[in-house]
Amino acid sequence: MDFYTKSAWVIPLIPLAAFLALTALGRNYRKAGVIIGTFAALASFAMSVLVLVERFGQDAVDYNYSFDWIRISGYTLEIGFEVTNLTALMLIVVTFVALLVNVYSAGYMKNDERITVFYGYISLFTFSMLGLVLSDNMLSLYIFWELVGVCSFLLVGFWYTKPAAKAAAKKAFIVTRIGDAALLIGILLLFWYMPDHALGFTMIESVFEGQGGIIATGITTVIALLIFLGAVGKSGQFPLHVWLPDAMEGPTPISALIHAATMVAAGVYLLARTFPIFEASLFASDVVAYVGGFTALFAATIALAQNDLKRVLAYSTISQLGYMFMAIGLGSWTGGIFHLFTHAFFKALLFLAAGSVIHAVHTQNIQEMGGLHARMRITTATFAVGALALAGIPPLAGFWSKDAIMAVALEQNLFLFAVGLAAALCTALYMTRVFVLVFLGKPKTGSEGGLESPTVRAGGAGGAKESPRTMTLPLVVLALAAIAAGFVETPWNGWLGGWLSGEEAVAHVSPAAIIGSIAVAAAGIYLGWRFYGSDRTRPAVVKEAAPWLARLLERKYYVDEAYEFVFVRGLRALGTLLGAFDTYIIGGLVKLAGSAAGISGKMALRLQNGSIGTYSLAAVIGMVVLAAAIIGRRLLS
Amino acid sequence: MPDNTGFLPLTWPDMLLMAPELLLGVGFIALVVLDLFLPRRISRSWIGGLTLASLLGAALLVWLRMNEMNVGAGDAGVLSLLGDSYRIDDFGSLMKLIFLLGTALVVLLGLGTASRDDAITDKGEYYYLLLPAAIGAMAMASSANLVTLYIGLELMSMTSYVLVAMRRRNDRSAEAAFKYVVTGSISSAFILFGMSYLYGVTGSVQLSGIGQALPMAVENYEAFVYVGFGMMLAGFGVKVAAAPFHAWSLDVYQGAPTPVAAFLTVVSKGATLAVVLRILYSTGLFAAIDASGKGVGDDMFFAVLLVAAIAMLVGTLAALRQLNVKRLLALSGVANAGYLLVPIGLSITMVHSNNVTELIFYLAAYLLMTIGAFAVLTVVSRAVGHDELRGFAGMYYRAPWTAAAMVIFLLSLAGLPISGGFFGKLFILLGAANAKAYWIVAAMVLSSVISYYFYFGFIRQMFMRGGSEERITIPPAIGIVIWFCAAGTLILGVYPELLVEGIDAVFSFQGDLMNVE
Repeated sequence: MDFYTKSAWVIPLIPLAAFLALTALGRNYRKAGVIIGTFAALASFAMSVLVLVERFGQDAVDYNYSFDWIRISGYTLEIGFEVTNLTALMLIVVTFVALLVNVYSAGYMKNDERITVFYGYISLFTFSMLGLVLSDNMLSLYIFWELVGVCSFLLVGFWYTKPAAKAAAKKAFIVTRIGDAALLIGILLLFWYMPDHALGFTMIESVFEGQGGIIATGITTVIALLIFLGAVGKSGQFPLHVWLPDAMEGPTPISALIHAATMVAAGVYLLARTFPIFEASLFASDVVAYVGGFTALFAATIALAQNDLKRVLAYSTISQLGYMFMAIGLGSWTGGIFHLFTHAFFKALLFLAAGSVIHAVHTQNIQEMGGLHARMRITTATFAVGALALAGIPPLAGFWSKDAIMAVALEQNLFLFAVGLAAALCTALYMTRVFVLVFLGKPKTGSEGGLESPTVRAGGAGGAKESPRTMTLPLVVLALAAIAAGFVETPWNGWLGGWLSGEEAVAHVSPAAIIGSIAVAAAGIYLGWRFYGSDRTRPAVVKEAAPWLARLLERKYYVDEAYEFVFVRGLRALGTLLGAFDTYIIGGLVKLAGSAAGISGKMALRLQNGSIGTYSLAAVIGMVVLAAAIIGRRLLS
Repeated sequence: MPDNTGFLPLTWPDMLLMAPELLLGVGFIALVVLDLFLPRRISRSWIGGLTLASLLGAALLVWLRMNEMNVGAGDAGVLSLLGDSYRIDDFGSLMKLIFLLGTALVVLLGLGTASRDDAITDKGEYYYLLLPAAIGAMAMASSANLVTLYIGLELMSMTSYVLVAMRRRNDRSAEAAFKYVVTGSISSAFILFGMSYLYGVTGSVQLSGIGQALPMAVENYEAFVYVGFGMMLAGFGVKVAAAPFHAWSLDVYQGAPTPVAAFLTVVSKGATLAVVLRILYSTGLFAAIDASGKGVGDDMFFAVLLVAAIAMLVGTLAALRQLNVKRLLALSGVANAGYLLVPIGLSITMVHSNNVTELIFYLAAYLLMTIGAFAVLTVVSRAVGHDELRGFAGMYYRAPWTAAAMVIFLLSLAGLPISGGFFGKLFILLGAANAKAYWIVAAMVLSSVISYYFYFGFIRQMFMRGGSEERITIPPAIGIVIWFCAAGTLILGVYPELLVEGIDAVFSFQGDLMNVE
């Protein structure tokens, strides 16, 4: 049976219909947004589940339907959709998270005046993302790729009355466009060099896998690097990652859906779909692996020094995406997709739980929070699950997928293995720090700012209440997914990888990787606990009863100091340093490019002084310049 | 005179061939008389309607003629009249269809705006003066002779000078018209000067005659050939508003009534491009090279490409800091003039010969997206009372569907899928890559990427700024223009082969641009 597979094209159309309906209704029907948006997402999710079930069948074959779109003198451009095991998995991820975000937003955005517009945008995004997933060729993928970018822009800037949100939306759009331009050039090159100008993924696979010199290695590398640059922009990899932390200005459900689970993972998906091109170019694969590994560590250290809850999670996303690219660069695209799959759940969970916290305390600064565990039990418990999964504690989902990557790294490249371990240490450390500062200890409200503190007026951490059921239900569902999703592939059972690639499932037990991962995760949590969690007030009784014990404790304290100096201060200093590098050097370069264009624009405008004399003179000078250029060209050649 | 340029009078059969132009001429005279005798209280919109009808009638006649010429197996080639100075061929017919469609949309725009614009005193004139302008554009597309070509150009220019000045109670309009007259005259002077040199060294004003005499002329008076073509290119550069000859266009568009600005950006520019193409190709200039590929032909095509590159970059860079929408669209027109010059300047090579298809496709896409954007601008500027970019603030909430249409136009202008502009630019880009002119490819990509920034500024205003909450009402005539252009842009973006195949079916390089005797 492949009825549902054949009608998979309906899946993206449902949210599109929802978007059109919501646009037509206008923003006066406040309830309509929640109902139409949620039910559209539910219908898409149900369809995706049915498709997935069909893919489990023994005789499931990849299904591709396409028709001739453009036929122009000699070449044909086909467009259509394709259902493979990979796309079926992605459909589930996108529709599942979209559905939960729709439910969650009913509570989170309840009092927003433009809630219908919000739901309309989410539906448009879901449509675009599903279209991207189902695309069977590079060109239609690129179209949807741009569309999700536009939706991201609209949603980041949703609260456009905040200047920061407006600036962030602009930055997100412009920075990702740099990558998009590269991707387009890559597609054009591919179009140029492919036999029959075919752009379908199936053709790409057969051409590059069975390559007998059809496309020269040099060109292959260039194409692969351009595609990767597109992915770098979209997935926030170094050095185009600067937009992602700023994009946290958008509503939190958006951060969970777009900037954690789906759109930012589109780069990883793109590389997985075009994997044969990377396989054909060793150099490009290395670039992917090293950029990914570097980003994983780089972003994790920056996350250590952040005080904004959502920015910590944003840097964490960048870092985890780095792992995925590292896996793909090391030749294991299934490992990258596995991590994408689990990461979607636990990172969406973390963002939504963070949203629940922000909703309750009205601040994003973790230094102003604390002691929320007593008042927000569900949020605390689910956040803890997400944090442990992210830190890589077995048997939660994040452990298995990270382990799959680490096992590959151990086999292929010891240096990157070490980088991965270091990043995992930082991950566990910053997650513990966040958890301790936000949920444990005592509420910090009123301690510094007194009555002036905005948190006091809004109720503050002390007066926080658990979020409504519409918000906690998605948290619980995601927490269950974050616990269970990892079992689809364990070191002893490579089911997911085998299913995705269509090859024999292989086990990849690697005791060193397992032990190493667990050890650094535990060490990270321990260190974090020591420096942020332990209550430093020591009972004076100990000192009187046993001075030697006190000394020991004191010594221990010195060790702590040393630890703190080496690990925490050192790493945090590094984080701050890299953060500064990020703001001033990378941001400066971006600004420089912008202002260079701005200045030349200004010069071009100076010509427009309104006097025709100037205009005519400009024309005459233009002629002289043309003549000089022609003569100069003659002389040169 | 060295060759038989003794012009033959218009014969009856010729009249039939020139039926579209004559229809417009007759319509023009009839409307002038009608306007004179019609009582003042009767709305001049009737005259607008009749103008529209004659334009559509002329378009139908052109279409019928083109179909008749392409019926059966072979290409009927060319119908020449007036001593071979005027030719009916497929290139001319395709261009004429574009001009007539553009002018018709401009009339519709006028119908939606003029009746409420008190600065326009003679509303009848406003419509019927577009007819001689259209005749001029058609004559330019059809001429095979420097003199006919020049007459067509002047006919179009003169009427547009008047049209720019149409808002008589507005100082800016008068200033714009004055500037346009002066710059236009300078460009005419350049063109005439170039033409006279060309005539001097070849002894012919007939494009085919120039082509025959060109090899000899290059051998004996190479410098004069350079001056002749160079001066003409500069003069036409002013007319198409390509940088560095573009500076007038900002002031003129800003002062002119918006529909007239749309006419100048689309029809006037397109007609001049048609003429440049004819002059460069029908004279066989591309063949005027020596064995190593150098020579006056190579240099002139290089000059066209250079102007194209400068126009693209200057247009987009200057637009970065422009906050007046009309001036911004003028600069977008400068950049687009650059894109449109690329297929002309690429010349014909063994591997790349569908320049004309690329040009016509992008011109059609450019027509739809630019007139569409101008149409939205007329609605917005009337609602807010000015032409500044901030007028678009919160437009999504004031007129969501019009905002959606504007997004389509902006996507097309920025060259993003799914729009006609995307494929137009893509075809030109692929053509340039085919011809191995990689530096022009780089210039196109660079200017496209920069242009995202300011096209995107509209989107930012429309979706991300609060403004007045009042809904914008859209006059039916303008609604038709907006949705016609939006639908056209989308259709070209989804099924570009419809137009490409249509062009390829009727156009042949040999038969329509060269002179097959």
